Amino acid sequence: MGTRILTVEDDERIRTSVRLALEDEGWEVDEATNGEDAIARFVRSPADVVLIDIMLPGIDGFDVCRAIRRQSDVPIIMVTARADTHDVVAGLEAGADDYLTKPFVPKELSARIRALLRRSRAADSPVTRMRFSDLEIVPQEGVVTRDGRVIHLTKTEFRLLVELASNAGRVFSREALLERVWGHDYFGDGRLVDVHIRRLRTKVEADPASPRYVVTVRGLGYKLQP
Amino acid sequence: MTDSVRTRPFSQLGLRARITATFMFGALLVAVLLSLASVTLSRSNLLDQRERVGVARAAVNAAAIGDKIVVPDVDAQTLFGSLSVSGKPSALVPDASAPDGFKAISLDPRFAATAVPTALRRGVLADREPKMMRYESNGEPLLAVGVPILDGTGVYFEVNQLSDISRSINSLALTLIGASAAAAVLGGSLGYWGSRRLLRPLADVSSVAEAVAQGRLDARLAYSEWAEDPDLAQLVSSFNEMVAALQGRIDRDARFASDVSHELRSPLTTFSASLEVLRNAREEMPERAQIALDLLSSDMERFTQLVEDLLEISRFDAGAVRLDPGEVLIVETLRMAVRALASEPVPVDAEADLEDLVIVCDKRRLIRVLANFIDNARKYGGGATRVAVERLTPERSEDDDETEDDDPSEVIRIAVEDSGSGVPEADREQIFDRFNRGSLGGSRGTATGVGLGLSLAAEHARLQGGRVWVEPRPDHEPGARFVIELPLVEPADDDVDGLDAAVATMTSDELTKHDTETRART
Repeated sequence: MGTRILTVEDDERIRTSVRLALEDEGWEVDEATNGEDAIARFVRSPADVVLIDIMLPGIDGFDVCRAIRRQSDVPIIMVTARADTHDVVAGLEAGADDYLTKPFVPKELSARIRALLRRSRAADSPVTRMRFSDLEIVPQEGVVTRDGRVIHLTKTEFRLLVELASNAGRVFSREALLERVWGHDYFGDGRLVDVHIRRLRTKVEADPASPRYVVTVRGLGYKLQP
Repeated sequence: MTDSVRTRPFSQLGLRARITATFMFGALLVAVLLSLASVTLSRSNLLDQRERVGVARAAVNAAAIGDKIVVPDVDAQTLFGSLSVSGKPSALVPDASAPDGFKAISLDPRFAATAVPTALRRGVLADREPKMMRYESNGEPLLAVGVPILDGTGVYFEVNQLSDISRSINSLALTLIGASAAAAVLGGSLGYWGSRRLLRPLADVSSVAEAVAQGRLDARLAYSEWAEDPDLAQLVSSFNEMVAALQGRIDRDARFASDVSHELRSPLTTFSASLEVLRNAREEMPERAQIALDLLSSDMERFTQLVEDLLEISRFDAGAVRLDPGEVLIVETLRMAVRALASEPVPVDAEADLEDLVIVCDKRRLIRVLANFIDNARKYGGGATRVAVERLTPERSEDDDETEDDDPSEVIRIAVEDSGSGVPEADREQIFDRFNRGSLGGSRGTATGVGLGLSLAAEHARLQGGRVWVEPRPDHEPGARFVIELPLVEPADDDVDGLDAAVATMTSDELTKHDTETRART
């Protein structure tokens, strides 16, 4: 079965043209015209990637994102008409994995989708098992445990953790993480990393306010403290 | 704006100083006049009194010694010993044997009758009535009273020392000088305090005006105690109305820009996606359609860029611009950016110690400027040949008011060099003007249509406290060197998590958010 992408967009012309462009990439596209419709469709048949426009009639893109995130790890891309901090951070806080600003080039969109798909199917780590005191990561099974209890991470969070863990102790700049985890080019947005790091901490750390594993190296980036 | 900020404190201080000085000199003048008057009055009162007493006492004493004096060779002790005198007594009695016909009798040779001014003696002898005279001897002020005795043939003198009076007058004067000085200080303080109170409304108005100028449009004059003053209430309400009107207008402009932005971005998204679909099917098209598609594709890119630029400019103009500073590993970021932006590999030269340098800046804006420089080099300079990153402390020889900070802080300079024909000196400033096509016809600055890029670059830099310019290449090779200079801000120590900064920006952004549509939906 091919990859299914759910697009949520109220503008019919954008919806149709994006569907055509994505279908050209060989993906199957499911369309929703509003938030309620999107959630219903997702419940009925979960997609592999969800593309959500923030400005929707009725419940907005942030709410759709939160609703879907509550029941699935599916990679979510937010589409905003503006790149200002408010929309971006709010979208990421709502659980989006990545975002795009209109007008986007379809090539960029498909590159992002491919990066997310690669990630959500990531089991390509050569290492089978990593242990950092009470934290255990099993890349191939996509499982993280702390004190033997399984921690539930989204695919992006998991990929981020594995990236840091496979070079534990090494400092990763935001730019490097953007390139390696999100497949972004130079224009990547450091906030993407910051929000995901924070979400990762709330799940992985005993005390997210003073992290033990995922630590900030002031000014430089992040590293995993072995 | 910079000028007003710089000069206001001085003029404010000037007015306050003037008021303070006026109060001070006024108080001093009044105090000095009063002091002079009181010194003069006290002095003449004391002297009058002393004279009255002296004359009365001398008259009584003269009568008392009148009988004893007839005895020849009476000695001074006998003569004056029993008297109750106010001054030093002495007498002149006729003595035919003396050269001037008088014999002087006194207890104290310093106050001998011969030491009394001759004018007094003559006066008393001539008019045969009591007289007095003030004079000085050896710097000591004295009052001599002469009373005729022996039917006017002799004179009885009493010489009163006035030094006690001048002492009290002096100490009075000293006290009054002190009091005058105190009055001046008091007056000055009163003036200072009064002028502060007087000027406080102005200071409040100016601080609010400054806040508004810096973009805090919700700043208003508070209805404090002075603002309820009927004389000033009018000022407060009209000032606040003015700011409210300004805010309304800027909000409308920003909302309009945001609406326009949305209205333009939606069809552009459709264009872009549809074009992609068409491009995917290009091979199936007849040749004529392919040519049309290629034209469409290439202008689509330009058009999208133009719209982006126009939206950016409208945001600048609407005052709806917010910086989005973050930590940037500058050299690595530039390398990645240059790799993605330039069609050919371009070296990014930086000193080794800059590799780990993290600065706080708005990355998106910096990349926009860099993209513009590189694009510019490609179009007019045969492609960028080198990107140089330098960290330096600029010397402040020229008076440049571009940069707002006037401490000699460090800056970071990013220069994009090309090997084209360079920019003629006359055009170096105006190529940064908006839509500049000017006299440059066909050369740099006219772009493939619109000269917005460089002016935007200038705005992006200015917004971050930096600047852009173009200069000849330092190695004297032909070509241009476009430079952006930003203040070097290193991450603050307490900024432990980049996210905190991002979230902080978000909150402040929310406060000043103009896109009500998004806010309503959030």
